[in-house]
Amino acid sequence: MPEALLAARAVTVRFGGLVAVDGVDLEARHGELVGLIGPNGAGKTTLFHALSGVLAPDAGRLLVAGEDLTGSAPHVFAAHGVARTFQMPRVFRDMSAEDNVRFALQFAGRTRRHAHDAFDDARTILGFLGLGAASAVAAGALTPARQRLLEIGMALGARPRVLLLDEIAAGLTPAELETCAQLIRRVRDELGVAVIWIEHAVRVLMSHVERVAVLHQGRKIADGDPRAVAKDAAVIEAYLGEEGVGSEGGRERRVA
Amino acid sequence: MSAREQLAATLACGAVLAAAPWLLSDFLLSLALSCLMYAALAVSWAMFCGPTHYLSLATSAFFGLGAYVTAWSLESLPYGVAVLAGGLIGVAFAALIGAAVLHLRGAYFAVITFGLGELTLHLITYTEKTYFHTAGRIISDAPDNAAIYWTVLVLTLGAVATAILVRASRLGLALRGIGADEERAQTLGVDTRRVKILAFALSAFFPGALGAAMAVRWTYIEPLSVFNPFIGFQTVLMAMLGGAHTLIGPIVSAVFFSLVSEFLRLRFPYVFLLLLGLLLIALILYLPGGLASLLRRRGRADA
Ligand SMILES: Nc1ncnc2c1ncn2[C@@H]1O[C@H](COP(=O)(O)OP(=O)(O)O)[C@@H](O)[C@H]1O
Ligand SMILES: [Mg+2]
Repeated sequence: MPEALLAARAVTVRFGGLVAVDGVDLEARHGELVGLIGPNGAGKTTLFHALSGVLAPDAGRLLVAGEDLTGSAPHVFAAHGVARTFQMPRVFRDMSAEDNVRFALQFAGRTRRHAHDAFDDARTILGFLGLGAASAVAAGALTPARQRLLEIGMALGARPRVLLLDEIAAGLTPAELETCAQLIRRVRDELGVAVIWIEHAVRVLMSHVERVAVLHQGRKIADGDPRAVAKDAAVIEAYLGEEGVGSEGGRERRVA
Repeated sequence: MSAREQLAATLACGAVLAAAPWLLSDFLLSLALSCLMYAALAVSWAMFCGPTHYLSLATSAFFGLGAYVTAWSLESLPYGVAVLAGGLIGVAFAALIGAAVLHLRGAYFAVITFGLGELTLHLITYTEKTYFHTAGRIISDAPDNAAIYWTVLVLTLGAVATAILVRASRLGLALRGIGADEERAQTLGVDTRRVKILAFALSAFFPGALGAAMAVRWTYIEPLSVFNPFIGFQTVLMAMLGGAHTLIGPIVSAVFFSLVSEFLRLRFPYVFLLLLGLLLIALILYLPGGLASLLRRRGRADA
């Protein structure tokens, strides 16, 4: 088995007394598409903060292609090829969509080349995401759903080896959601990146990923083949009172 | 305008302005000098503070340090070398305080940069009294007015050219990203700490060098007169009134307010300050992008 491109080992993140992420192990390999699910407040976003250097974990290690980056600043993670999106889009609002992608290309993406040069220029990336017509529009003027797409564009501009996607499909219709999933698979197939994808539309997610990890109250309670995980008693238990593992969460929008 | 065209325009303006010592009276030349000085101060302030939205009140400190470089060295160094040294002292001091306090934001950063300026003033006062037994220094054999004017002109052109190049470079892009969302810029690969220290230090070259260049206009130098906080405040006001995110805004505003201030200061010294303060409040409330935002139509300003 090849070495994991990204590995979290027993990562813990606390907010005061609250343990948001509790001793979590998670890996993603070259070309692997991993789903990350869990009820609201399970710690998924916080785990992404740790994986991208935005928050230093209180315990545990973070390895990127075998290199220990624990405690490094976000730009170091970016330089090693970890790119992410933000659940609440954080595009540069006054810059055009194209300049947002170019920003990523100019910094994080500067030292690497993509396996596929179709993604090596801001306009092509925007075109791929269906944002070609919006390239000159100020990012702040895009709808939230399109800002999420632009977030993917910025992450692609970073020429990632590992792509962390945080609820990029929130607010999409089922049809748009399916298109979005196809898009992510194409990115993975053509660039060979490792993808970890958080999404609330659990059923759609499960039908596209090769592996899924489940967080509940900061702990990882399952990790494996989607079909097996969907039948896992602990997972079903965790989702009781929520919307259920099989439910279609495509239209919901959270205010987390 | 592309960066290349902007540089060409700057050079052309410089060539015209270089003729001033042959054409203007002493009074007008000193007025022109004051316009140039404030234009350079405002442009270099806006170079860092414009895109990042930091509010630095350290300009007076850079200026005062530069002036003291001249006071200490003019007897042993040529004027031009003292000016260069003043700029480098500004850079070094800015790098030092930048590394210490650039993680602070908003009012905290403003207050601490102001405080560090005051601290420097008192340090120099103390050093002069304790080790040199002097309260101030007399500048002898100062260069003539034309030489001072040309030196300040070169510094102003240098500040404008640097601002143009920074805006067109990755450094400028990184600064804009830091101003918009610093953490996001980091996740996109910008070493924000390094970029901020670098740009802050670079922008301090000009106030430092200007302090050194202008020091010879005083015949007697003492800390309280060269570390004048008013110079720093006025710089910030001018840059913000003109629109600190633009290139041309701070220049136009610095020239305009230098002229108005000279006129008003001669007649109604306190009314002027009052007026400037009120104008600033009105502009911050109703026109946060500065006067330059009046000029831009839709889309992005390309000043
Ligand atoms: N900045 C923060 N300060 C304090 N608590 C936080 C912060 N961010 C998240 N939390 C808490 O940490 C837990 C995990 O949140 P989060 O990672 O956003 O969950 P998820 O993304 O799975 O919905 C929640 O209880 C949330 O309230
Ligand atoms: Mg979340």
